Amino acid sequence: MSEKVKVTNLVKTFGDNEVLKGINLTVQNNEVVVIIGPSGSGKSTLLRNLNKLEEPTSGSIVIDNVDIARDDVDINSVRENIGMVFQHFNLFKNLSVGENIMLAPVELKKEAKDEAEDQAKKLLATVGLEEKFDATVQSLSGGQQQRVAIARALAMNPDIMLFDEPTSALDPEMVGDVLEVMKRLAKQGMTMVVVTHEMGFAKEVADRVVFVDDGQILEEGTPEQIFEHPKNERLQDFLNKILNV
Amino acid sequence: MKRKVLTAFGLLAMFATILFCLGLPGSKAQAKTYQIGTDVTYPPFEFANKSNKYVGIDIDIMQAIAKEEGFKVNVKPVGFNAAVQSVQSGQLDGIIAGMTITPERKDKFDFGTPYYKTGAVMAVKKGSDITSLKQLKGKKVALKTGTAAADYANSLKKKYGFKTVTFDDSDNMYQDVTTGNSVACFDDQPVLQYGIKHGLKLQIATKPANQGWYGFGVKKGTHKELVQKFNAGLKKIRANGTYDKIVGKYLGTTANSKVKGKTFIIGTDVTFPPFEFANKNNKYVGIDMDLIRAIANEQGFKVKIKALGFNAAVQAVESGQADGVIAGMSITNERKAQFDFSKPYFNSGVVMAVAKNSKIHKLSQLKGKKVAVKTGTSGADYANSIKKKYGFKVVTFDDSNNMYQDVTTGNSIACFEDHPVMQYAIKQGTKLKIVTKPALNAPYGFAVKKGHNKALLQAFNTGLEDLKASGTYDTIKAKYLGADEIKTAAKTSGNSAEDRTFIGLIKQNKGALLSGLQETLWLTVVSIFFATIFGVLVGLMGVVPNKFSRGTSTTLIYLFRGMPLLVLALFIYTGIPSLTGQKIPAFIAGVVTLTFNEGAYIAAFVKGGIQAVDPGQMEAARSLGLPFGKSMRKIILPQGIKIMVPSFINQFIITLKDTSILSIIGLLELTQTGKIIIARNLEGFKVWTIVAAIYLIIITVLTWLSNWVQRRTKV
Repeated sequence: MSEKVKVTNLVKTFGDNEVLKGINLTVQNNEVVVIIGPSGSGKSTLLRNLNKLEEPTSGSIVIDNVDIARDDVDINSVRENIGMVFQHFNLFKNLSVGENIMLAPVELKKEAKDEAEDQAKKLLATVGLEEKFDATVQSLSGGQQQRVAIARALAMNPDIMLFDEPTSALDPEMVGDVLEVMKRLAKQGMTMVVVTHEMGFAKEVADRVVFVDDGQILEEGTPEQIFEHPKNERLQDFLNKILNV
Repeated sequence: MKRKVLTAFGLLAMFATILFCLGLPGSKAQAKTYQIGTDVTYPPFEFANKSNKYVGIDIDIMQAIAKEEGFKVNVKPVGFNAAVQSVQSGQLDGIIAGMTITPERKDKFDFGTPYYKTGAVMAVKKGSDITSLKQLKGKKVALKTGTAAADYANSLKKKYGFKTVTFDDSDNMYQDVTTGNSVACFDDQPVLQYGIKHGLKLQIATKPANQGWYGFGVKKGTHKELVQKFNAGLKKIRANGTYDKIVGKYLGTTANSKVKGKTFIIGTDVTFPPFEFANKNNKYVGIDMDLIRAIANEQGFKVKIKALGFNAAVQAVESGQADGVIAGMSITNERKAQFDFSKPYFNSGVVMAVAKNSKIHKLSQLKGKKVAVKTGTSGADYANSIKKKYGFKVVTFDDSNNMYQDVTTGNSIACFEDHPVMQYAIKQGTKLKIVTKPALNAPYGFAVKKGHNKALLQAFNTGLEDLKASGTYDTIKAKYLGADEIKTAAKTSGNSAEDRTFIGLIKQNKGALLSGLQETLWLTVVSIFFATIFGVLVGLMGVVPNKFSRGTSTTLIYLFRGMPLLVLALFIYTGIPSLTGQKIPAFIAGVVTLTFNEGAYIAAFVKGGIQAVDPGQMEAARSLGLPFGKSMRKIILPQGIKIMVPSFINQFIITLKDTSILSIIGLLELTQTGKIIIARNLEGFKVWTIVAAIYLIIITVLTWLSNWVQRRTKV
């Protein structure tokens, strides 16, 4: 296994508020890393730093041997290889489902329209929504939207996918479909960093679980280590609260 | 009893005779009076003006020289031939009568230094196809006896085979040509020029020939001292400019060379009858208007009248947007600090007027009451100067109609206005009456910016004197104020004959209203076009991730949204030219004003519209690797614009309405058109109703259109 992402001493402050206090994290190729932690612990911020939706305050984020924290990096071409899925899907409301998926390939890879259309339809098929190609975004349920969002993120053939609480905004009955798609992706060997509260998903799919609290990584390990034998007191606390609701 | 009276009378007579005898030699020593003969009518050299006083180049030169040299002249208009004979017989001391110096005359006269160069020209009836002497063969030609031009014609008579008819004065000679009895006449060039300028229906057909000089003559061998004085005086008045002034006054040749052919922009009030108001054909007329046009015509320049409203006109002159202002403007010391005034052309005074049925008839009854005045007028100054003393309050209006209205409706108890204006308004049907005598007698003057446009001012003065001399001035004044002429004025403004129903008013003013509407729409469309460009640019600058650009955007929006449109319009129209010295046409100033003002609002909602798009949309686009600009174009703007559409349509409607404010800088859009129509017919309620209805109709149509667009853009 080789290193896909290496985060070193990552600090992020918003004004006086230090949200990330020196994060060190490595993600191997084909590895699925799940980040868990209480609300406001900084896990989403950490994820958003990985494609520079948030500008790192200090530290380095090396992806494929390039430190993207530096100012002189062409962040747009870096992002083409990093897919991202948002909590609130963020599908483009002015575009149809198909157009949402085709936008980046057509605009950035200059793919021919019919080619992009074929690919978009295939991607929609993999998330089980091939019949929705011409549908408007507004006509889809939350779960369907999130699956389209995953398809959109995959359209650029990224070699790493970031998931920012992809199921938190969904009705419970929709969660399963989305997780199913994610599991399939993991099985296909996609490198994934997932911020989630779905502990079942973490146990089943994660190669490694990372517990973040108060802007720091307090513990990391295999799902078994984290969920069966948590060492850190705050992790124990957190798991107690989450699992005994 | 009878004897006593007789004795007393006799004593008195003796006493008077003694006094007379004692006094005469004394006055003779001081200032001798010379008897000078001249022609009856030989304009512009000598003619009687309206008040039957003899004026003209000859007379004025003679008087000026006499004044310069300390003697007196008594000019006797006995006719050219009679004057010549009287000088020869010793009854008169000298002759000045546009008399050309010829060798023959030199045998009988001693001439002073030649004072005017002239030449003989042939004139024919206006529209005649005679252009050369050859065409005169077998025709009759009119001449005036004893003139150099007649001599010239007689010398050609044989060669060209024409007959001559002689007249004793110019008028009859001219008449003979205009009636067609004669086909042409010969006269001195300046004389003909002057006559044609003053309405003579002739045209000059040849170049000046037989050029010669006019001279002042005395009987040969006599009055040497008079000739010497004449020569000395002529030299002096030539040196000190009096000569040029006199000639310029009548012919406008010297004084107006600087203004000749030029076009001057003259600012005036919108509504100040009888001095300025639009007549039925929407042309500006009135004492001021007729006067300035007559002077311009006289002095050979052109004027472009801009009815800006009094204050705007004054400011336009200060800022150099206009060259002069003629707007019933009283000459005051304060104004003299900013303006150079012409000689007064009208004497006015402030009167108080009250509603027709009011019992108020003196100032002391005003205590605790409200009084209406018009901003910047001497009526306002007067009212303000006495308001403490009489304890009344002052309400200020921007034009006369609103002020009158305020009194007739009873909001104010009285108003102060210039006497002629008030008189005219009452005659036009304003339900007010004048209750005080004119106070604060104030002369009206034409004004230019201090230290600027000297030539124009001088031309005005010269022209004014000329008009006064020729009687045109009195004619103009009488046309608007004279008892008989009031009816004519009323007729031109159609007060009595006009149909004053809504339909009648619309019919009469259809053309004016339509062109006003057209200007309004054109202003709106052009302005909204530029405002959109400006607004979208500034709005976009407000959302790009760059501090400087965002700051600029915020500042621009703050500045132009925070400034009242009226202030902005005045600032751009009158403020900027006074800084740069560059004139801005009113239309452009109007468009610039609206571009900035409406553009700032557009920028604000463009910015707001973009910011209203869910930030997740931008994040999602950026996370796919789309650059900022592309994300903006493909994702954010299409969604933002949908949010903006209603605001944009709203702004379009607001812009249409806001164009009305530009009436302040004299743009002839719908509102200004309304103002002008009301200025003429004083039908405020009806005309404003019509104007309001037009705005409403247009805005209704626009609203329908906007609803349609909105339906189309909704997905």
